[in-house]
Amino acid sequence: MIRFAYIIIGIAVLLLSSGIASGFERFPPPDFESGYVLPSPATPNPRQDIYEYVDTIVLLTALSLSSYLVLKKRRRRFIFVLSVLSLFYFGFWREGCVCPIGAIQNVALSVFDKDYAVPVAVMMFFLLPLVFTLFFGRTFCAAVCPLGGIQDVVLMRPVSVPQWLESGLRLFAYVYLAAAVLFAATGSAFIICRYDPFISFFRLSGNFNMLVLGVCFLFVGLFIGRPYCRFACPYGVILRQLSRISKWRVTITPDDCIKCRLCEDSCPFGAIKIPTEDWPAHDYNKSKRRLAFLIILLPILVLSFGWIGSILRPVTSRVHATVRLADRIYLEETGRAEDTTDASDAFRATGKDIKKLYAEALAIQARFGLGGWLSGGFVGLVIALKLIGMSLRRQRTDYEADRAGCMACGRCFEYCPKEHSKRKQAKETMGGSR
Amino acid sequence: MKTRLGTTNIKILVAVFIAIAIGVVAIVKLDTTGKKGSGLGEEFTYDLEKLGIIDPNLILYKEPAPAIDTGFSESQSIAVAPDGSIYIAGDKAIRFFAESGNLLGEIKLADMPMCLTVAGDGKIYVGMKDHVEIYDGQGKRLATWQNLGNDAVLTSIDVSKNDVFVADAGNRIVYHFNTTGNLINRIGGKDKDKKISGFFIPSPHFDLAIGNDGLLRVANPGNHRIEAYTSEGDLEFSWGTFSNVNIEGFCGCCNPVNFAILADKSFVTCEKGLVRVKIYDQDGVFTGVVAGSKQLTGKAGRICSTPAECQSRAFDVAVDAHERIFVLDTNKNVVRIFTKIKEE
Repeated sequence: MIRFAYIIIGIAVLLLSSGIASGFERFPPPDFESGYVLPSPATPNPRQDIYEYVDTIVLLTALSLSSYLVLKKRRRRFIFVLSVLSLFYFGFWREGCVCPIGAIQNVALSVFDKDYAVPVAVMMFFLLPLVFTLFFGRTFCAAVCPLGGIQDVVLMRPVSVPQWLESGLRLFAYVYLAAAVLFAATGSAFIICRYDPFISFFRLSGNFNMLVLGVCFLFVGLFIGRPYCRFACPYGVILRQLSRISKWRVTITPDDCIKCRLCEDSCPFGAIKIPTEDWPAHDYNKSKRRLAFLIILLPILVLSFGWIGSILRPVTSRVHATVRLADRIYLEETGRAEDTTDASDAFRATGKDIKKLYAEALAIQARFGLGGWLSGGFVGLVIALKLIGMSLRRQRTDYEADRAGCMACGRCFEYCPKEHSKRKQAKETMGGSR
Repeated sequence: MKTRLGTTNIKILVAVFIAIAIGVVAIVKLDTTGKKGSGLGEEFTYDLEKLGIIDPNLILYKEPAPAIDTGFSESQSIAVAPDGSIYIAGDKAIRFFAESGNLLGEIKLADMPMCLTVAGDGKIYVGMKDHVEIYDGQGKRLATWQNLGNDAVLTSIDVSKNDVFVADAGNRIVYHFNTTGNLINRIGGKDKDKKISGFFIPSPHFDLAIGNDGLLRVANPGNHRIEAYTSEGDLEFSWGTFSNVNIEGFCGCCNPVNFAILADKSFVTCEKGLVRVKIYDQDGVFTGVVAGSKQLTGKAGRICSTPAECQSRAFDVAVDAHERIFVLDTNKNVVRIFTKIKEE
């Protein structure tokens, strides 16, 4: 209970430190009465009035239903149907926006920028899946996330990914999360939205490169289950940690595991942990020494990666438009660039002081320095903890769903003979009662 | 629904690697800074240079005298008093000038005035951001009316014998007061029964004027219209069309930004973005041009480069009893006076 209290306090602190506002359109768009063709916006129009809350209610309902289907009903078919419905609603109908994954950036920006307020609906989209994960495991990933849904429907011939590769590739998601928070917090860019590989499908429009990226992800997804969720999703990183401590979670069997091994190859996401053998004594001693070394290495890794993040600030800060503009103006002023750009022309037309622009850019770069320390340090910490995790051995006697990695898709249920006998029993009981 | 994990063969491995490589190239080649342009076709091109060219035969006015320098660093609004003196609102002050350009006086204000008008009795009605203040000709403040709230952005004011109308761009409404400052009613709010669609004001320019026929005229810039209301708030009729191509229409997102009514009941309209001052008859039929972008700014195109600049700079117009047209150039903070050169 203390653990949950800490988490609730954490969420409360997050809410207090971030501004929340009701989103509304200040002025309606111009009401052109001629045949003028307005270009379609690259992002969906903001939801008005009640519809924002309708989306939130749909999300809440989908999360509740998903949790019920995963933990109580335990039927893959129903979970899959809900996943497809969510894909159509949150993906194709709502065009992938608002999504909890992208909401990380809104929340990060609101924490670091007091002038930025997160709309209530966005905050709800960010928090609800976290709260549900805290109680029921990753039921959001199971049947509510449209990005997961679109990858799930193309998974035709799953192959296994070696554990070492899985673990190594997953590091990318942590780096992506750190970068997304850094760029959002500095007001530079919302890279999760920019590089969302499936948004072109949901909106049936968009950048060609992103369409190509989406096709690549789906192609890889034919063989490797949910590649984006496993190796790239920054929200998945948070969900993984909350799922480790969730109050209830998916179990492969509804009863005692009989170690029949039938479920062993059923998970396309490599999230089934097999029973462990006894640890040989010489291995144990070796691992103990390695663990001690890694614990000493931890601060060194954190500081090293923090330092790397910090010295990369001239590169990372160029994502910010002001820094890019200052760079461009500097090149033009020093004669290193002969032509001008639209941005530099527009800046000069404002008559603003160039020195002020330089000062502003330097201040932003300094923020990237601090942000680099924090985000780099975070990546270093993750690497260190991963290495430490490899030196720890957990005793397991049964086949278990990996607490962090299990996406609660319910595929393994069908493989468990205990599940079948329970269903049969339930059927007979129902038949008898009639 | 049951699918077991298969074995990874070399074909799958190669295909996956190729897909990953293509994906990486797609990300690296992505134009994140817009260097390669919007990618939109020519149909979306908005070439103001071309649109700014006006047939010289349509220009009915000339500018015989040099402009009057207001001395303001930021000017907002212009009004011409019944006695012909010119009142300008700017830098926390009201300045008034003789026709010759001589400064007659100045009224210091606590804040930036947004709009003004001069009543027949010489009282100066000044619209501040969220309230109205009234001054006499000597600069003595006679009254301060009620605050209209944080969202209020007063952009225009006009006064008749018994009524004062105030346009609020922030709340997209026109307030109808009596001359003692009591609010009588609100005009122009969305009302299906009255067939009023409301005011569409994408930028803070929202003008009104009391017509010679007693009806209130209000610009609905987002709809590219001028609407006629009774003082009770009934919409009588409207005129105006959108066109980026034809001079008869109002261009851009939201025009006209300002207008004035001549003694012969015709309208002088002022557009922003592509700066134009034009004349329409009392039924809204285009009759000619006072001055186009070239005459007003020296350029055929627009006078601004950034969206913020385009939204903030809008010229204001006023007229006097002799059918002269006074254009407040908010860019150079001067008043330019145009007189008719030929019969329309």
